[in-house]
Amino acid sequence: MTEIIYSPESPLASPRAFGRAVLADIKAVFRIGWQLFVRNLVVQYRQSVLGYLWLLLPPLVLALVWTVLGRAQVLRTQALAVPFPVYVLAGVFLWQGFVEALNGPLQQLSAVRHTLAKVRVPHEAFVVAGMGVVVFNLAIRLAVLVVAMWWFEVPFRVTLALVPLGAAALLALGLALGWGVAVLGMLYSDIGNGLSVGVNLWFLITPVVYVLPGHYARYFNLNPVTPLLTTTRNWLLLGALPPAPGFWTVAALASMGVALGWLAYRLAQPHLVVRL
Amino acid sequence: MPLITVSQLSKKFCARLRTSLWYGLRDMAAEVLPWRPRRQARLRPHEFWGLQDVSFELRPGEALAIVGANGAGKSTLLKLLNGLIKPDGGRIHIRGQVGALIELGVGLDPVLSGRENVFVRAALLGFSRAQVGPLLADIEAFAGLGEAMEMPVQFYSSGMVSRLAYAVTVHLRPEVLLVDEVLAVGDMDFQRKCINHMLAYLAGGGAIVLVSHNPYHIQAVCQRGLLLEHGQVTFAGTGLETLDRYFATQLQAPGQVGSAVPTASASRPVVIRGLQFEAQGAPAITNGCPLRVSLAYEAHHAIENVGWAFYMWTNDGLTCVTGGLRLEPVTLQAGHHQLACTVVDLPLTAGEYVVKAAIFELHSQQPLALVGWEDAPVSLRVEGSIDLEKNFQSMLRQLVTLNLSWHN
Repeated sequence: MTEIIYSPESPLASPRAFGRAVLADIKAVFRIGWQLFVRNLVVQYRQSVLGYLWLLLPPLVLALVWTVLGRAQVLRTQALAVPFPVYVLAGVFLWQGFVEALNGPLQQLSAVRHTLAKVRVPHEAFVVAGMGVVVFNLAIRLAVLVVAMWWFEVPFRVTLALVPLGAAALLALGLALGWGVAVLGMLYSDIGNGLSVGVNLWFLITPVVYVLPGHYARYFNLNPVTPLLTTTRNWLLLGALPPAPGFWTVAALASMGVALGWLAYRLAQPHLVVRL
Repeated sequence: MPLITVSQLSKKFCARLRTSLWYGLRDMAAEVLPWRPRRQARLRPHEFWGLQDVSFELRPGEALAIVGANGAGKSTLLKLLNGLIKPDGGRIHIRGQVGALIELGVGLDPVLSGRENVFVRAALLGFSRAQVGPLLADIEAFAGLGEAMEMPVQFYSSGMVSRLAYAVTVHLRPEVLLVDEVLAVGDMDFQRKCINHMLAYLAGGGAIVLVSHNPYHIQAVCQRGLLLEHGQVTFAGTGLETLDRYFATQLQAPGQVGSAVPTASASRPVVIRGLQFEAQGAPAITNGCPLRVSLAYEAHHAIENVGWAFYMWTNDGLTCVTGGLRLEPVTLQAGHHQLACTVVDLPLTAGEYVVKAAIFELHSQQPLALVGWEDAPVSLRVEGSIDLEKNFQSMLRQLVTLNLSWHN
């Protein structure tokens, strides 16, 4: 029979028991998260006429717009090894994945805050379900990108096999920061408001639609998204194997951040529920 | 061995939103520093105890009623038992799975059908599709929604939502069931079904914590009760005793009607100042004795053509037993005066009752002054001797005693 004890002490007072409880829950969290993800996919377009076409439309429209802009040569700044529209599309799609992972936890948890306040459910499952949507969306965008690469006759190189690793590192960075954003954002609405402003500024200092300027590369690399995005895009389009400086450090820190964020949210959860 | 052991449970809340957010941040930071000594017993500025030093045990087969006014801490206690929030003092030890029937519609997806929602709801409670599949037929039969199971939940009435959510939760067979006023929205048939289910569940070794103001539900299900007032347990006894005590706390003392009643004015020409009961020719109010009922009023100016009435209710306020209505025109004099009458032969069986009274305009039948309807009614205690007849009356909850002449 399950035995549950609720007391004021911090779960970290007995770290082993805390670790065991987290590990015991992980399986259930992923199982529930998967069911919620499937539910979300089913529900998402049930009230829509175009239905699942909406999954494909935004990246397709974006691809078309950049193709037209590329043909018009309005944004070309310098010679690139690949057609400019493909370069920008790869950058934008990866950036969108990062931003969705960053926003995901707060968005998912805020959307169900009434449920979280009344029903005992594993909060992490909603974040897992949200990350499922992020991965799914990124996969669709990358599929559109592959079609664009074929259209622009960009060769498919062996480094494509490494793209999932780069994308995972990018999403991990988004999620690691997203956990922190969620813990604070569930309390203070300033965090959510500030995030949308911050993301727009962040976009400008990340080489998404422009090439990393040689003179300032050192400063741009301080932005943790830069090495992950640049490396993944290189693996996608250029076949350049060596990752950008800082890639492994940021990827390792991001992975640790995901785990720490998960634990931090778990500790914060009862204090958040009181204030929902 | 008890399924639930609660010892000296306390929970504090902050009355100011921004301060509460700041405390939340500090409490979260404190979780990361477990070695730092905590001072939970101390209230910080603007904090108050939502629950303080609550202790009880619940064994298999027992049902506990939690009774109290709004804000007494009932929902906080259920949230703590459900593990939604964390205690600031004391401890809860639960052996077994907990199922909670709190705000039943929450968590259901309005766009999905009833049947799809069964799986989603069960998933949220940690059950896979494979585990729920074999229970589906029973869940559908219990919910009794028929073809509506295929309909999106957004088209359900609140009663239908309750049926669905109740059916899912109870069929997942938790050892402990937390129930918070959820039966109120169901129809009589569903309420009866739930009560029967709860009794069977208790007989099967489950335990129930029930928050309700409905005497029928408490009487039918709960052997034990706790009365919460301002976060503290002020009474523990049987379910019915707890209800009686709760209703008694809701009453006004005889003769003293609402100290906050304003003085009579042009816009409020009459106010009721008191309602008194007095046994005539007897030391105490008992069944069959003559009872004088006096209603003290204050009138701003003389008012003609008014009527007045008083009604005697069971002390849960649900059933009106009897009363008196004077439809002959009466004139209210300006100033402080009384209206009075005598109940010649009080028919009430010994016990606790409440009385509500009204002064009204005869022509329009609009009330001029009320006591007991929008505010607390006035209590009336009918004394009785402890004998066999009284025991039968208590057992049957008999309200009226007839003045009989037996012929053989």
